[in-house]
Amino acid sequence: MKVKVIIVLFLFASTAWLFIGAVDNGPDPYKPKYIKLDVPKGWPKPAKDIFKDNPLTEQGFQLGKKLFYDGRLSKDGNFACASCHQQFAAFATYDHDFSHGFKDQFTTRNAPGIFNLAWTPLLHWDGGINHIEVQPLAPLTAPNEMAENIDSVLKKLRKDTAYPKLFKAAFGSNLINSQRMLKALAQFTGSIVSYSSKYDKVQRGEAFFTPAEQKGYDFFKIKCAGCHTEPLFTDNSFRNNGMAINPQLKDFGRMRITTDKNDSLKFKVPSLRNITLTFPYMHDGRFYSIGQAIDHYRTGIVTTQPTLDTALKNRIAINNAEKNNLIYFLYTLTDTTLAKSNRYR
Amino acid sequence: MVARPVKILLLFIIILVCTQYSTAQRTSTLRTKTGTIKITFVHTINEAPLVLDSMEYVNPFDEPYRISKLKYYISNIAVKHLKKSFAEPESYHLIDEADAASLSFNFDAPANNYSSISFTIGVDSIKNISGAQSGALDPANGMFWTWNSGYIFFKLEGSSTSSTLINNKIEYHIGGFAAPNNALKRVTLQMPDNTLLLVQAGKTCEIIIAADINKLWQADNNLKIAETPATMTPGAVAIKIANNYSRMFTIKELLTPYSP
Repeated sequence: MKVKVIIVLFLFASTAWLFIGAVDNGPDPYKPKYIKLDVPKGWPKPAKDIFKDNPLTEQGFQLGKKLFYDGRLSKDGNFACASCHQQFAAFATYDHDFSHGFKDQFTTRNAPGIFNLAWTPLLHWDGGINHIEVQPLAPLTAPNEMAENIDSVLKKLRKDTAYPKLFKAAFGSNLINSQRMLKALAQFTGSIVSYSSKYDKVQRGEAFFTPAEQKGYDFFKIKCAGCHTEPLFTDNSFRNNGMAINPQLKDFGRMRITTDKNDSLKFKVPSLRNITLTFPYMHDGRFYSIGQAIDHYRTGIVTTQPTLDTALKNRIAINNAEKNNLIYFLYTLTDTTLAKSNRYR
Repeated sequence: MVARPVKILLLFIIILVCTQYSTAQRTSTLRTKTGTIKITFVHTINEAPLVLDSMEYVNPFDEPYRISKLKYYISNIAVKHLKKSFAEPESYHLIDEADAASLSFNFDAPANNYSSISFTIGVDSIKNISGAQSGALDPANGMFWTWNSGYIFFKLEGSSTSSTLINNKIEYHIGGFAAPNNALKRVTLQMPDNTLLLVQAGKTCEIIIAADINKLWQADNNLKIAETPATMTPGAVAIKIANNYSRMFTIKELLTPYSP
């Protein structure tokens, strides 16, 4: 009897050795909680899977969130990602044309909101960033923004008492490198999905537009949706919407990336979601109200620019009543759930 | 007679040992069929070895210059002879003149004779659009454009009295993987004098590749420092320089296989 027990034990132990003997999981086996990107009903599938080489986990998301709010990613400790990307402003900079950076410097473009990035193939106003994981490198190293360098940030994180454990929980070992830091940040920012505005509730049959909102929506679908395409309210294209060039900034937009003259003065069509939170508007934040932005399309477009979008050659005819209705409709794109969710803070 | 349970135990031990042994056997057979290729890069100017900072050199237009930094990517290395070829997997190497260890690297290849070696100067487009990488491709290596996602394939910095820029700087940051600004260059080098690279099982053979830096200014195109002291964006100038530096590599020497 005893012999049998010993044999069974031996068989069990040796089988275990055979199968898992070579894999060293350390004292705490890596057991991340895999999570899924929120893809709202009726939305298109993201064109490319931003998490293909970066499996989304709760631990990765939480690490990314901590990094996003950590000032140590900047040179002087003052500028976390979140200092320019404020949740209450749908992760844009509230009420600022340009954001503030290291030593009282300004950025040279208006900080866009961060949401629905899984549906955004190219980031930045000029589309210069081709993958969500490498985006943080731009603000992190820009001398007028976070003014840091990667090695220095990684040193700070390695010295910290909490980060090594969080990296281990997210990625299986306490190795802290740029790839893991960037992947964690991407897990956080890429998971921010905005789909709980009144507009979304109306689409789901959970709410109704007022008559003015409905009129504004009907008008929007005819005059604006060509570029600000539902449900993301952008077609992610680059277009020149006929704004006079700022002689100090001399920002030619997309042309800097493609070196193609035909891309001169083209900027990414921004999503209109959360528009009441993300003011001021346009790549240089020149318009502080929605009314001013609409007036630009009515009367302000510089029609002599050769790269002006063809849809705007004759400006857009919008009367005052239509403008008011349009504003009522645009108000319905505000997602207070996103702006207040504890998940993101 | 031995009791039945004990027999089972013995049988199991035998199976266990055999399985482990055969696994070990398989890896060792693999090992005996491959040899190691060691590649070493040496940088020369007018046949003198490159020395950073302290030495002054002259380019083909008699313009004097010094080099303070020379870094570039060698990737997707393959060796070939007739129909047999072998490509190094995950083949990305950052050559940095300031880091002696980076000037040589090894990889294993099937034992064979090879008549040519080819490699890319730069980083293929896939790795330029696939997010954060590590190792040689870690953006912390300072070879990544943060404002226009993509790798800097080749970086040469220094000074020249012919340069009109601040502090007489010369600075060439060459990159660009997308049309029409694609500056990726593929180089194929034949082994010299119809010799073959002999990769022998368990042994190391070495290729010494010389890079003649002065080709940067004169090869396919003429580029004077006075006219082009710097370029730091993808574009037509970067492509011209890439065409030039793709001509700078030659095989200087093959060392016959030796046991490591």
